Amino acid sequence: MGQWVSPDAIAALLSNPKPDSLTDIPEIIVQITKLEPKGKSYGFDANDGKMKIKAIFNSRLSSEIISGNIQNLGLIRILDYTVNEIPSKSENYLIITKCEVVSPALAMEIKDEKNEELGEKKEESGIILKPKQEHEIKGEVKKESSGILLKPKQEMVAKSAAQIVNEQHRNMAPTARMAMTRRVHPLVSLNPYQGNWTIKVRVTSKGNMRAYKNARGEGCVFNVELTDEDGTQIQATMFNEAARKFYDKFQLGKVYYISKGTLRVANKQFRTVQNDYEMTLNENSEVEEASNEAAFIPETKFNFVPIDQLGPCVNSTELVDVVGIVQSVSPTMSIRRKSNNEIVPKRDITIADETRKTVVVSLWNDLATDLGQELLDLADKSPVVAIKSLKVGDFQGVSLSTLGRSIVQINPDIPESKKLRCWYDSEGKETSMASVGSGLSPSTKSGGRSMYSDRVSISHMTSNPSLGGDKPAFFSIRAYISFIKPDQSMWYRACKACNKKVTEGVGGGYWCEGCQKNDAECSLRYIMVVKVSDASGEGWVSAFNEEAEKIIGCSADELDKLKSEEEGSSYQLKLKEATWNPHLFRVSVAQNEYNNEKRQRITVRAVAPVDFAAESRFLLEDISKMKGSQ
Amino acid sequence: MDTSKPAIFVNGGLLPMHVRKRVRTVVQVIGSDRGAVIGKSTDDQQLSVKGTPPSVPLTNFVEVIGIADSEKSIQAEIWTNFGDTFDTYSYNQLCQLANGECQLLFL
Repeated sequence: MGQWVSPDAIAALLSNPKPDSLTDIPEIIVQITKLEPKGKSYGFDANDGKMKIKAIFNSRLSSEIISGNIQNLGLIRILDYTVNEIPSKSENYLIITKCEVVSPALAMEIKDEKNEELGEKKEESGIILKPKQEHEIKGEVKKESSGILLKPKQEMVAKSAAQIVNEQHRNMAPTARMAMTRRVHPLVSLNPYQGNWTIKVRVTSKGNMRAYKNARGEGCVFNVELTDEDGTQIQATMFNEAARKFYDKFQLGKVYYISKGTLRVANKQFRTVQNDYEMTLNENSEVEEASNEAAFIPETKFNFVPIDQLGPCVNSTELVDVVGIVQSVSPTMSIRRKSNNEIVPKRDITIADETRKTVVVSLWNDLATDLGQELLDLADKSPVVAIKSLKVGDFQGVSLSTLGRSIVQINPDIPESKKLRCWYDSEGKETSMASVGSGLSPSTKSGGRSMYSDRVSISHMTSNPSLGGDKPAFFSIRAYISFIKPDQSMWYRACKACNKKVTEGVGGGYWCEGCQKNDAECSLRYIMVVKVSDASGEGWVSAFNEEAEKIIGCSADELDKLKSEEEGSSYQLKLKEATWNPHLFRVSVAQNEYNNEKRQRITVRAVAPVDFAAESRFLLEDISKMKGSQ
Repeated sequence: MDTSKPAIFVNGGLLPMHVRKRVRTVVQVIGSDRGAVIGKSTDDQQLSVKGTPPSVPLTNFVEVIGIADSEKSIQAEIWTNFGDTFDTYSYNQLCQLANGECQLLFL
C-alpha cells in the first residue's frame, strides 16, 4: 500500500514549533528532498507537496541514512521534532529527533498543483507513487515542458514506476537527468561485492604516471587519492589504457562522479590512506566532472592515534593523524635542505594527550610560518590541535612531521577536542608527562623502536667495527655512566631561536648565520662525550643537549653557572653525582672517517630511566630464550 | 659483603622444602595476629612472620630473612622495607630459578 505526505504538514509543524509532549503531535508525514551530509548529521528539505522547510536529522539518526533506511525522496513520519528560528535569516529550521520510515525513495519530488481543479488530496484519489519494486500505479503522470505536474485522475493505468521515471527522463535536460538518476554512495559504503555504485569525490592527490616492467610485460600506471564529502578517502589506480584515458581527465582539486570501478582489499604495505579497500579503474569505468562544485568541501575525517601508540608507526609509509593539547611552540627555524641547499621554515610544537605522553610535531613551510604563528599567539591558552597526514620518524624515538598534504585544525569542533580540553583543565595541566620517544613500555603491543628492541651489550657494538657502514645501525643498551671528563668543552654557544652555533658578533653579542641576526644573548647547548659501561665492556658515546641534560641532571646554562663558582667544586660534585647512574640508552652506530681511518661513532639518541620491574621481565624472557635454545 | 650465612630465596610453595634452614622472602603485609605479621607470599600464600619487626612502620612489601620454623612460618632476624610497589611476578620467577636450574649460582 502506498503512503502520502500529510496535507499542510509543514504548516502544522510551524504552528507548533516546540510540542510539549509526543501525544501533542498529529500524524505528520513529509518527503525528504535534497538529503545531504552536514558534518556528522544529515540535512534535507522537508517537503509536504505545498511547502518546504530546511531540516536536519539528529546525528543519532545518521546511521539510518548511511544504512539506506532513510532515503532521499522517501517518506518519514515525524514522531518528535523541534522547530527553531534563525533570527539573522528569519528562516525556520526543523530538527528531527525521532521518526519512522514510511516509504523508501519515491521516483520524484512531490509537487502539489496550485490548481482549483486539484481539489482535496485524499489518499484514495491522489496519485500514489510507490517504490520501484511495486507495479501498480493509480493515476497518470503528465509530462510538461517546465517540469512534472501530478494530476489526480480516476483512470487506472497500470504503469510501473520505472516506466514513469523513464518517460519523465526523456523530457529532462541531460544534467538534470544525471543528477536525478545518480544516487551518490558514500565512500564508506563501498565494498567489492556490490558493483553498482556512483561516488562523488574530489581528487586530493594525484601521482605521476610511472612506467613499469615486470614478468608479465610492461606498462604505465598512476594513482589518485579521492575524498568524498564525509572525508573518507580511497586510493584509485589505473593501468595502461585506463591510465592514458584518465590521466589528463583527473585534475587535482576537481570533483568527479565515478562509477564502474572495482574494489579489492588494500595492500597495507603500500597504502597511504586509511581504507581497507583500494579501487582500480579500467577503460570501462566512468569518470565525469561535476560542475559547480566549489561548495563541495570534504569534511576532514580524522583517525587519531593516541600518542602512546605511535611507537609501532615509526618509519612506516602509513601516515597518521593526531590530536593533542599544545604545550609549547618553538620559534621558526630555517633549515637548509641538504638536497638542493634550499632554506625551508620549520617550527616544532610539543603536544600532549590523555595517555600522558608528549610528542614533537615539526611543522614545515606555510604551516610553520602562518599557522605556527597562530599557535604561538594562542600558546598560553593551551589550545587543542588536530593534525592529519603526518609522517612518523624516529628522531628522538618518535617524531612527527607535516607534509604538503597535512591538514592542521586549531581547536576543532570535534568530540575529541572537547574530551582533551576537559582532561587538560582538570588533571592534565598538573601532570608531569614523558616524551613518547623515551622509555617506551616493553609490552609486546608497542613493539617498534623501544628501549627493549635491538637490545645488545656494549661489546657487541665496540667489537664490530663494520657496524653502521652504509647507514647508521640502531640499538638499545642498558649501561652505567662510568666517566665524564670534567675538562672537555661540554657545550657550544647556540642561537636562542634556531639552536645553531653562533659566532661572536662584531661589536658584541652573538651572530647567527642561519637566522642572519645578532642577539645580545645566546644559550648554551650540550655536546659532550661520556664513557658508558656494562657487564660486557665499555665505550665512548656522544650526547647532545636533550640527552645530556638527562644524564647530567641540569641544563648546560646551569652547569656553566656551577663551574664559574668558587673553586668549581659544585661543578665537580654535579658530575660525580651523574656518574655510576644506570640508564637505558637508544644509540646509533655510524662510521666516520678521521685522518683516512674509519672510526666508530656511537651517538645517544634517547635516554630513559631504568624501569627495574620491566627490566626484570625482559631479563626473564632472555633467560627463557637461552634455556629454549639449549 | 657477608657471605657466611647464605639464605635461600623462597616463596610460599618453596618454604616447606627448607624448614629449619635460613631463608629469605618478600611478602605483602596483610595484617598481624598474636604478635606475628601475616604476609602474602609472591605466589599468593599466607605466611606468618615471627620475631621483632623494626621500630619504623612496615611498608606494603617487606623482605624478611631468618630461619623457617615451619612450613608456613619464618622466625625473622632481618626485616627490610621494600616500599609500596613491588613486581611480585619477577620475584616469584627468581625463586623458581634459584631453586631450580640456577641453584648452583646461589649457594
